[in-house]
Amino acid sequence: MTATMREFRDRATIAIEDVRLQTALEAATGRFCTARAAALAKLPWVEAMRDQFKAMRAATLANLAQHLEQFERQATAVGAQVHWARGGAEACAIVTGIAQRRGVTLVTKSKSMATEEIHLNTALAQAGIQPVETDLGEWIIQLAGEAPSHIIAPAIHKTKEQVAALFAQELGQTELPADIPALTAVARQMLRAKFLAAGMGISGGNLAVAETGSVVLVTNEGNGRMVTSAPPVHVAVIGIEKIAPTWDDAALWLSLLARSATGQPMSIYTTVVTGPKRAGDPDGPEEVHVVLLDNGRSQLIGSKYEEILQCIRCGACLNICPVYREAGGHAYGSPYSGPIGAVLSPLLFGLEKYPALPHASSLCGACKEVCPARIDLPRMLLELRADLVAQGLASPVEQFLEQGAALTMRSSRVWQFVTAMGRWGQRPLLQNGRLTLPASLNPVGERQLPHLAAKSFRELWRQGEV
Amino acid sequence: MTARTEILQRLRAQRREVNVPHPWQSRQRFDDLGQQFAAALTAVYGKVYLAASLEEASGQLGQLLAELGARRVVANDELLLSALDPAARWPDLVWHIVGQTPGDLRAFAAAADVGLSSAAAAIAETGSLLIASGPGRSRLVTLLPPVHVVLLPARLLITDLFTFIAARGGEMPANMTFVSGPSKTADIEQTMSIGVHGPKQLSVILYQE
Ligand code: SF4
Repeated sequence: MTATMREFRDRATIAIEDVRLQTALEAATGRFCTARAAALAKLPWVEAMRDQFKAMRAATLANLAQHLEQFERQATAVGAQVHWARGGAEACAIVTGIAQRRGVTLVTKSKSMATEEIHLNTALAQAGIQPVETDLGEWIIQLAGEAPSHIIAPAIHKTKEQVAALFAQELGQTELPADIPALTAVARQMLRAKFLAAGMGISGGNLAVAETGSVVLVTNEGNGRMVTSAPPVHVAVIGIEKIAPTWDDAALWLSLLARSATGQPMSIYTTVVTGPKRAGDPDGPEEVHVVLLDNGRSQLIGSKYEEILQCIRCGACLNICPVYREAGGHAYGSPYSGPIGAVLSPLLFGLEKYPALPHASSLCGACKEVCPARIDLPRMLLELRADLVAQGLASPVEQFLEQGAALTMRSSRVWQFVTAMGRWGQRPLLQNGRLTLPASLNPVGERQLPHLAAKSFRELWRQGEV
Repeated sequence: MTARTEILQRLRAQRREVNVPHPWQSRQRFDDLGQQFAAALTAVYGKVYLAASLEEASGQLGQLLAELGARRVVANDELLLSALDPAARWPDLVWHIVGQTPGDLRAFAAAADVGLSSAAAAIAETGSLLIASGPGRSRLVTLLPPVHVVLLPARLLITDLFTFIAARGGEMPANMTFVSGPSKTADIEQTMSIGVHGPKQLSVILYQE
């Protein structure tokens, strides 16, 4: 996928014209925002907690190699197998390799952005292994053959009627009632059979704890517990940045994650996996694998974009973002949408593929305000815009204007000349003393700008008028 | 060069000395841990029953099983539960006690009406039960049946996640889950629906010893 200016605009237009989607997006994001604010308000010390969390995340990234090695040591000591993957293809090969060695034909998956990022499902299917998404929202979009449109509510754009039609098709029935509890029950029954039959469970990881070699998974539905408990093999794919050095750090992380995401004090299930089943355990996987995924992350360490790796994928910045709330997730053309997606997608997958995303923001700063790690997303959006120009990826018009502006502002003579020209050139556009933009930039005719004053401040000063 | 070496080399090249912040200390205080636990769990559709003794708790358990119309019950083999000897107390029900009853635990759990367990600890702030794997403690018992019933002695209550971490000792079990309510989803039209993959009902009998 990509997101050029044209693609972003076209996809956003489709979303904006879809009245039902607009209502759904407004309701969902609004509800998440309210719930988040209410949950944080219950902790009077939450601002100090966020400061501490940010400091912890920054300190972890500064010393990431050491924490990853400790994680590997601890996980290996309890019998887990740790794998390292430079990129998506390598990670997919590792996971399909494990499945093939075990003769697995059916895998159940719990929600994981990392596996979305590397298109693991496609790789598994190509190897003749059937992947079944088990997070209800993920399963719905898998049946529909679509991409998630929100980090934590992937099927935010689907109606219950559409879900009923998808389930009916999967069941080979002509019709199902569009009743949410009934549809949930259908999903429970159908996916229960898959959980019990699967030869392997695949999950992501919300975080990994170096101190004990544990992978932590957070779900509300219980599918995270299922994929880590029912099949004989469990594979977790997790980005290298999602490391908490100690359990103290993990507790801080978990205290902010669910509250920032859905406003829950804690998700329904927080599962901590520390190696395969032990001697004496009545059940549990015989093999546990952890795939540490780089895929562009290590390049960011030490760069001006390192801060983006502090993200814990809570989705708070999506919910608050005026652009996301109108354009929806699909406009971004990436598994990561909203402000986090607008920064992360170009960095992980290439600025040349996602040149529109640094512009998909009004720089209002709301994302930074709500981010549990206080990540300065607006700063990085600006840095990316500068990179676009520096790398010649901006459109020729923008390139021309930016370079023109730079030239003009460098010299006071040129500046005076250009503003004098502007004062003269603006005349045909003046209406009642306001600048009215031409129709192509002003479709509704409401946009007006203040005009250039007859005398600049410099002139007023020189003439003793101020 | 292997992926491991390559990734670690790149990270090491950017390594910086930093001050690691002191661990966060719990600032949460509750006058009554039991009350807070019950309030938090009830808010997310869990059910909490209070009992003054183990004997009263077992009476409540019997009543609960009867109300549920339970026929098949799968139970973890935990000290606390064996003291109760449920199979002898309610002989009309079909019991599978982990590690004691012969036969296929997984198949029994998948078809059971109720899963019965205790917990390793419980967090008052968030109404969370700590369910750990171990000898006699199956993961599927607390996961597959539509109803999960927990017998919880009040002495296992702790304030919050931070107090739990501070008190944590020894090694991690292979699987440890904080259970904070019955399974739920809001994935269809953002409408809450209870009981997707995990238990549809979570009932905790909280008793004093
Ligand atoms: S950038 Fe911050 S707010 Fe956005 S998903 Fe990541 S952690 Fe959450």
